[in-house]
Amino acid sequence: MKTIIYRITALIFLASATAGVADITETSFAFIGDTDSSAYRGIAQGIHEANLQGQFLGQSYSLQEFSGDDLDIIDPDRFIAIIVATDANDLVQAGARFSDHAIFNVSVHDDALREACAPNLLHVIPSARMLADAEAQWLQKNPDAEITVSGWHPQFMKFAARDLNKRYKKRASEPMDQYAWAGWAAVKMASDSVARQNITEPGAMLEFLKTGLAFDGQKGLDMDFRDTGQLRQLLLIVDSGGELLGEAPVRGVVATDDVDSLGLASCYN
Amino acid sequence: MKHLISLIVLFLAGIQLAHAASGRIFVTNERSNDISVIDGSTLEVERTIEVGDRPRGIGISPDGKELYIAVSEENVIAAIDLETLELLRKFKAGSDPETFAVHPNGNIYISNEDDAKASVFDPRTGEQLAEIQVGLEPEGVAISPDGKQVIVTSESTNMLHVIQVPEHTIAANILVGARPRAATFTRDSKIAYSTSEISGEVKKVDMTTYEIIAVRKIADEKAKPKDVILNKDETKLYVAGGRANQVIVMDADKMEVIKGIPVGKRVWGLAMTKDGSKVFSTDGVSGTVSVIDTAKDEVIKTIEVGKFPWGVVVDD
Repeated sequence: MKTIIYRITALIFLASATAGVADITETSFAFIGDTDSSAYRGIAQGIHEANLQGQFLGQSYSLQEFSGDDLDIIDPDRFIAIIVATDANDLVQAGARFSDHAIFNVSVHDDALREACAPNLLHVIPSARMLADAEAQWLQKNPDAEITVSGWHPQFMKFAARDLNKRYKKRASEPMDQYAWAGWAAVKMASDSVARQNITEPGAMLEFLKTGLAFDGQKGLDMDFRDTGQLRQLLLIVDSGGELLGEAPVRGVVATDDVDSLGLASCYN
Repeated sequence: MKHLISLIVLFLAGIQLAHAASGRIFVTNERSNDISVIDGSTLEVERTIEVGDRPRGIGISPDGKELYIAVSEENVIAAIDLETLELLRKFKAGSDPETFAVHPNGNIYISNEDDAKASVFDPRTGEQLAEIQVGLEPEGVAISPDGKQVIVTSESTNMLHVIQVPEHTIAANILVGARPRAATFTRDSKIAYSTSEISGEVKKVDMTTYEIIAVRKIADEKAKPKDVILNKDETKLYVAGGRANQVIVMDADKMEVIKGIPVGKRVWGLAMTKDGSKVFSTDGVSGTVSVIDTAKDEVIKTIEVGKFPWGVVVDD
């Protein structure tokens, strides 16, 4: 017990000492999911990078981990946003329970979640229908191809994706997959909003992400969300050997900037 | 007689000075791993020099004797004799050296993209003099003419980091539009202009207060501004417009776009002659250098160079 008190005192002392140097804005995210997952490692990468930027601006970022069973014990006032990497049910539950917060979906492709047009679910990972539409576009041009589609690929180079792939591989000791990218992107878009807009409240964060976002996700320019809550994004076509083949929207089939040719474009369609 | 000798000496010295600058234009070709040497009067490629894997940043020593090339994949800077065009030496310049600038004192300030660092090298000895922590993906480097400030842009942290010389401490971190690429100073060192590739903006920054005093978003959505330079009387900015395939001319005071000059595809680097009469742009995808007459702001010649020309300097 003594040790604990001592530690707490030390922490308080440290906190006040830091505050004395400069006003540090603390921003914390809640993570619901498995800490042994690429989504989690992507989020950790995002927190690391947010702190690299934050050190120049007097901002600091942290993450607290929960499992899907912990929804009842999460104190929403402590978090700017909540990142979920479990399943559709947890996303729906979290969305309803923490209605002021942006709830990031970084792992679930379920179309029904997008069709529901929930006011605070933000799907960074592509929907199943987006992946299917991308595949269909590619097959229209190359009918016999054996391909898969992904939101991200470790060989992707454009939009400085090369640099992000290198940074992630160096830190996580594995290639970045689409869940890692989605986790990284969720933290990055939120921390950019803190840095640029001085957003400190969950409600203001949700509002800004839905209406004011122009995100540099290192896989496209000025990325933003549809009214379905789905992040607009290009998708990557991968051959049966895992090699990167190309991008969707597929050139020659649709306009290459027509990202709304992939998946449900709007709640009102 | 004495006077005559003095006169001859002066005359010879004069000739030597005149010879010191060749008027040549040097271009790094990122994919063909070489440098195109362009004759300044005929505007023809007179020579191609192999230099190593992925040459990008390029600069000239203050005494005009050496050409420096960042050979990115080899993690070195190559020094080339500007008179003989022979390779003099290569020295280690950190991980993935890309863009650099040469300080009036001869030292090189370079961004190391992979390491979130800027480093300082003495190119005469190859010695690393300092290392400064900056944001993620440091890119553009600009040094104030008075030598007191260095701007390093960080593309992923979206900042201009202002480094003080000689202390090598950070004086300010200025948050700017997404993906800041390049910066340039006015001659009095008081104002800097900076481009942001993804936000499509050009910003004017007061370098005494570190405040952004003007922002202009370029209307053309394809314009992803990269390099930026000022004309000789500092009334106009030339901005490499990336995929807009234009060099964009802006009024430096009002920050309004005056004109877009069509050049080759994916225009990236810019350089100007000392007399201010010509601007050269590297057109990456086209594999050309466009020569702009600054009096008319029109392209007067397009020169075929190597694959993916990246950087350009004028030896004058």
